[in-house]
Amino acid sequence: MHDYDAIVVGAGNGGLAAGAALAQSGLKVLMLERHNIPGGSATTFCRGRFEFEVALHQLSDMGTPERPGTLRTLLDSLGVLDEVSFVSMEDLYRVVIPDRLDVTLPVDRQGVVDTLQERFPAEKEAIKKFFDLVYGYGLELYSFYRNPGGEVERFPLLKRYAFRTAGEVMDEFFQDPLLKAVPGAYWGYIGLTPNRLPFSYLSLLYVSYIEMLPCHVRGGSQSLSNAMFNRFLSLGGEAKFNCGAKKIVVRDGVATGVLTDRGEEISARFIVSNASKVATFTDLIDPGEVPKAIFEGMKGRTPSPSSFNIYMGLDCEPGEVGITASTTTILPDEDMSDRHFNQMRRLDTENSVMGFSCYDVADPTFSPPGTCQVALLTLRYAEPWLRVPPSQYAAEKYRCAEAMLRQMERVCPGVRDHIEEIEVATPLTFMRYLNSPYGAIYGFEQYMKDSLFFEASRQMPIKGLYLAGGWVTDCGFAPTIKSGVSAAGAILRQAG
Amino acid sequence: MIPEALKNFDRFQDVVKEMEICRKYGMDYSLEKGDVGKFINRYHPSSLDLRMAELIPRTLDTKTIRLVSQDGYLPPFQAGQYISVAVEVDGIRTSRPYSLSSPPNQTGYYDITVRRVADGLVSNYLLDELKPGDLLRTSGPEGHFYYNPLFHDQTMVCLAGGNGVTPFMSMIQQIVDCGLERTVYLFLGSPDLGQALFHDRLTAIAARHENIHYVPVIENPPEGYKGRGGLITGDLIQQVVGEVSGKTFYICGPQAMYDFCLPQLEHMGVPARKIRKEAYGPPLRVWEQAGWPYAVKPQDAFEVRVKGGGSFSAPAGETLLTSLEKNGLLVPSLCRSGECSQCRVKLLAGKVFQPAGTPVRRSDAKFGYVHSCVSYPLENLEILL
Ligand SMILES: Cc1cc2nc3c(=O)[nH]c(=O)nc-3n(C[C@H](O)[C@H](O)[C@H](O)COP(=O)(O)OP(=O)(O)OC[C@H]3O[C@@H](n4cnc5c(N)ncnc54)[C@H](O)[C@@H]3O)c2cc1C
Ligand SMILES: Cc1cc2nc3c(=O)[nH]c(=O)nc-3n(C[C@H](O)[C@H](O)[C@H](O)COP(=O)(O)OP(=O)(O)OC[C@H]3O[C@@H](n4cnc5c(N)ncnc54)[C@H](O)[C@@H]3O)c2cc1C
Ligand code: FES
Repeated sequence: MHDYDAIVVGAGNGGLAAGAALAQSGLKVLMLERHNIPGGSATTFCRGRFEFEVALHQLSDMGTPERPGTLRTLLDSLGVLDEVSFVSMEDLYRVVIPDRLDVTLPVDRQGVVDTLQERFPAEKEAIKKFFDLVYGYGLELYSFYRNPGGEVERFPLLKRYAFRTAGEVMDEFFQDPLLKAVPGAYWGYIGLTPNRLPFSYLSLLYVSYIEMLPCHVRGGSQSLSNAMFNRFLSLGGEAKFNCGAKKIVVRDGVATGVLTDRGEEISARFIVSNASKVATFTDLIDPGEVPKAIFEGMKGRTPSPSSFNIYMGLDCEPGEVGITASTTTILPDEDMSDRHFNQMRRLDTENSVMGFSCYDVADPTFSPPGTCQVALLTLRYAEPWLRVPPSQYAAEKYRCAEAMLRQMERVCPGVRDHIEEIEVATPLTFMRYLNSPYGAIYGFEQYMKDSLFFEASRQMPIKGLYLAGGWVTDCGFAPTIKSGVSAAGAILRQAG
Repeated sequence: MIPEALKNFDRFQDVVKEMEICRKYGMDYSLEKGDVGKFINRYHPSSLDLRMAELIPRTLDTKTIRLVSQDGYLPPFQAGQYISVAVEVDGIRTSRPYSLSSPPNQTGYYDITVRRVADGLVSNYLLDELKPGDLLRTSGPEGHFYYNPLFHDQTMVCLAGGNGVTPFMSMIQQIVDCGLERTVYLFLGSPDLGQALFHDRLTAIAARHENIHYVPVIENPPEGYKGRGGLITGDLIQQVVGEVSGKTFYICGPQAMYDFCLPQLEHMGVPARKIRKEAYGPPLRVWEQAGWPYAVKPQDAFEVRVKGGGSFSAPAGETLLTSLEKNGLLVPSLCRSGECSQCRVKLLAGKVFQPAGTPVRRSDAKFGYVHSCVSYPLENLEILL
C-alpha cells in the first residue's frame, strides 16, 4: 500500500549509507536529492583542467586491510570497498607560525613524541607524559563506550579529564606556548578553540588518526559518494535528483511519506532524513506535528561554524611553492585564547587561523601532471555573511580571500604566481549546497555539555522517521556514514 | 540512562547545570522556518520569471532583450556571467545560455543580446515571437567567465568574435560607470562593419575613456577602410598591446575563433593560466573532430532507451540533450557546453562521443556519467535520467 518501503531525503554521506544499507537488505528505496549529484559535502567540482575536492581533508578510521578501522569495515559491509581506492598520508599535519614555528608530525606515536622533544628539549618529559595521557585516555574512552557500567574507579583518567578542555590539559603539562600550539592546531577539525574544546576530542583525533592513518580518496570524495550511490542503484534503489523534499508528511505522529518540490506525494513506511535536524523539524514537518520535546532538546544546542574556502589549481608541483605536507595549519601566533574564537564571528580573515590541504603531496596523480591543487580554509560563522548586501557579496569575497592568500604567501612564497584556477566558497555557499542552517559544516557544536558522553538518544518521537548525518552524531565522514548504517539498522529491526 | 560512573566524573554536576541553562535560554529553531531558503534565494533562486520590458535593435540580425523582475529584485552577478533562458518552442522545452550584456551596477534590469542564427530554434523565437510584456523563465546568473582580482591582471586583453562581445560589453560598461582601475583592450572580430555589435557605443566609450581601447577587426573591409582588416592575429595583438606580461587574456566567440586564436596566444608566450575562455556551446561539426569514428555518419540514427521510460531514435550528429528534449524529456541544463555538469546522465549501455577535454569528474566517467549536452550517440544506448 506504500509506494516505497523507505524514502531517503538527501544524498550526503548519511543518506547514501542508509540507502545502500536498506537496499542491500531488499527494501524498496527511493532517494531524493536537491542537487544534480550525490555526495552533499562529499563532492568535487571541475574548473578548467582541475577537479576540486570540496570537503575531505583527512579521512579517519580507515586503517589498513590488515588492521581495518570502523570505516573500512562499514564500507566493506556496504559492498563499496572494491570500487574506491584510498591513499594514506605520510604526515599527520604540519603547523606553522611564520618565522617562529614549523613542525611536521609523522603518523606514528613515537615519531610525534620524538619530533616534539627535539623541537622543545626543555619539556621532554612532559611531552612523553602528555601523549601517554592522550593514549591512556583514548583507551579508557573506548572501554567506556563498550561498557559504561561499574564503578568510576574503572575510569581514572576519564574521571579526571572527561570534562576538561584541551587548553586546560595542555596548561597542566606544558610551559612553552609554542609547544601548546602544536596539539592546539587540531581544533579546526571540531570547530572549537582549545580553551573550549573538550579534551576528549583532542585525544580521539590523535589516537584515531595515528592508529587508523589519515587517508584520502583517490579521485576525491566524489569517488566514494558515486561508489555508494552506484551500489544503491545496482541493488535496485531508485533516485530522483534535482528534486528536494518539500515536506515530510506526518499524520497523527506517524511519518507516512514525502511531498517533493515538484508537487508529487510519495508514500513510504520509513523516512530517513539526511537534511539537517533543524531543517527536518522546522522546514520539512508541519509545526503541529513536531513534538515539543524536539525543539526543547535542540534549544540548548548551537550550530557549528561554517567555512570560508579557497580552492586553487596551481600550475606547479607542491614543492615549488613550499608545500611539504598534505595538511598544513597556519597560525598567526600562539594565542589560544578567545581571540580566534571571536574572529570566527567576523567577516575579516586578516590574521586568522587557517588550514590547507594539498592532496598531490601524497598522491601525485590527484591533479594533472605538473600541477597541484590546494584547498585553503578558515572556519567562519555565517552570521556576518548574512548581513552583506548582495551587491557587495563578490567584493567581500575577494577582499577576504585576498587577505588569506597574503597570509598563505608567508608560508608558501610565490604561490600566487602559479594560480591557474581559483574558486571561493563562503558560508552562503555551504548554506546553498548543504541546505544547513547558518551553513554549519559540522552539525551542532560540541561543547563539553554536548560531548560524546551525552549523545542524544536516537529514539525518534515521530514513528517511521529516522535521521542520518552530521546533526545526529559527531561530524566527519566516518561518523556520518556510520549514522546512515545505524539508521538503516534501526529501520530493519522495526521492519522485522 | 546516565551510567553511574559518569555521574562521578569530576565536574559532572557543572556540566549538567550548563546543559540545563542552555536549554532554558537557548535558540528557538522553530522561529527559523524558511530562513535558509530566504537567504539563498537572494543569490541563487532556482529560477526567475522575468518580464520583457523592451526589445532594442542593435544590428540587422541582433537585438537586445531587456528583462525586468516582477518584484523589482534581481540577483547580483559578475560582469561576464550568463543566464540560461528556458523556452517552449514548437512543443519542445529547451534552454539556451545568453551572456548578460548589461553591467552589474545596473540593478534595474538584465539585458541579453541575441543574434539570429539561421534555422536556430530559440534565437528566432526570442527575436520574433517574444513581445514586450511577456514572461520569460531564466536561471540565475551562472558561469565563470569574469574578472577575478585574486589572480587576473588589471590589464585585460579581450578577444571577441561576433556576438562574443556581449560579456565584454557588460565588463566595459561596469569599468567606465564605476570608475574601476582597469585597462581593457578589446579586439572585436566581425565579417563586416555592419555586423560589428555595439560598434558605435564602443567607439564612443573608447573615445572618452583612455583605459578602454577598442579595436574592431573587419574580415572583409570595404574599399578604403582605415581600420584593421583580416583576422585577429598574434602579430596584430602584439602591435596594439605590446608586452604580454602583466596582462590577462579573455576569449569569447565561435569555435573557429578559439581554433585560430589560441595557438596565436601560445605562440606569443602567454601562459595557459593567463587565458580565460568562455564556453561556446557544442562543437558545430562534431563528426569532423579527431576521434570521431569514421564509420558513423552524422545522420545515422540510434535507439536510445531511457530506463523506466520508453525509447526514441536519435541522430549521431545531434547532442543527446537535444534529442532528449525533442522527445519530451526534460533534463536540467545551463551552459550547454559541457562545463557545468547540470545535464549529467548515466549511460547504462552503449557508447557516445564526447569532445576531448570535456570536464567530467573522474569518478563520474568511471561510473558511466556523461554530460548529455556534448554527448553524441555512436551506438544504441540505454540511459538513466
Ligand atoms: C569544508 C569542509 C571540510 C570538511 N573536512 C572534513 C575532513 O577533513 N574529514 C572529515 O571526516 N569530515 C570533514 N568534513 C565533514 C564532512 O564532510 C561532513 O560531516 C559529512 O560529509 C556530512 O554528511 P551528512 O550525511 O551530514 O550530509 P551533508 O553532506 O550535509 O549532505 C546533506 C544532503 O542532503 C541534501 N538535502 C538537504 N535537504 C534536502 C531536502 N529537503 N530534500 C532533498 N535533499 C536535501 C543536501 O542537498 C545534501 O546533499 C568537512 C566538511 C566541510 C564542508
Ligand atoms: C556561455 C554562452 C553564452 C552565450 N551568449 C550568447 C549571447 O550573448 N548572444 C547570443 O546571441 N548567443 C549567445 N550564445 C549562444 C546561444 O546560447 C545559442 O546557442 C544561440 O542563440 C543559438 O540557439 P538557437 O536555438 O537559435 O539555435 P539551435 O537551434 O540551437 O541551432 C541551429 C543551428 O545553428 C548552429 N548554431 C548554434 N549556435 C550557433 C552560433 N552561435 N553560431 C552559428 N551557428 C550556431 C547549430 O549547430 C545548429 O546547426 C551563448 C552561448 C554560450 C554557451
Ligand atoms: S548543460 Fe552544462 S554541462 Fe551540459
